[in-house]
Amino acid sequence: MEKPNIPDEIFLGGSKAYAWRTDWRVNGWLMVAVLMSGAGDFFFADQVRHLNVAGRTLIVLAPFFVLLCWMRNLARWIRGMDELHRRITLAAVLFAVSATFFFVMLWHRLEVAGFFEAICPGRRSWDIGTLGHGFLLMTLFYIVGHTLFNRRYQ
Amino acid sequence: MAEVSVKNKLRELRAARDWSQADLADKLGVSRQTVNAIETGKYDPSLPLAFKVARLFRQPIEAIFASDE
Repeated sequence: MEKPNIPDEIFLGGSKAYAWRTDWRVNGWLMVAVLMSGAGDFFFADQVRHLNVAGRTLIVLAPFFVLLCWMRNLARWIRGMDELHRRITLAAVLFAVSATFFFVMLWHRLEVAGFFEAICPGRRSWDIGTLGHGFLLMTLFYIVGHTLFNRRYQ
Repeated sequence: MAEVSVKNKLRELRAARDWSQADLADKLGVSRQTVNAIETGKYDPSLPLAFKVARLFRQPIEAIFASDE
């Protein structure tokens, strides 16, 4: 019988079950999106600023279209899990998405209130709305969520 | 409403056939952790998986899984 997918396959350093091929197959498009978004942010101040609105909008939106490919691969990978791992992973993904959402919202409200400017004056931007930040936060919260939900069944 | 606790004989049936958890997991198409979680009562399988287990051991489903009440 075909082996089900397991979450450890994409946990770099998590266990011996890690498989870079599987990780790349699942998360490859996410890496591409982060790189595209990072490159867009890096060049936005200089080269990209001189493009017309349509060009700039396309550069901003392109990574989000790539993210759709990542979401499709992630959904397929989760569908290939057995029922217990699917339950744990879906709970962890839900936890990661909602925790990231609340964290970014809270951060934004604190920024608007001038909290960061007060504790560390002079820094130009406290924006964490980039794809890179979102990716890092979601990964962090996913690991926390997965550890919490997985512990119940060990 | 009170939760119904489910007991199962998976460990005994597996041991009687001298299968490891990994062997049983392969036959059922699930992970070893899932087999372990079912055996230790930490996870109750879905109805399709319970039927798969029953078919594998050639026993009626109620002979393997039973309510604790």
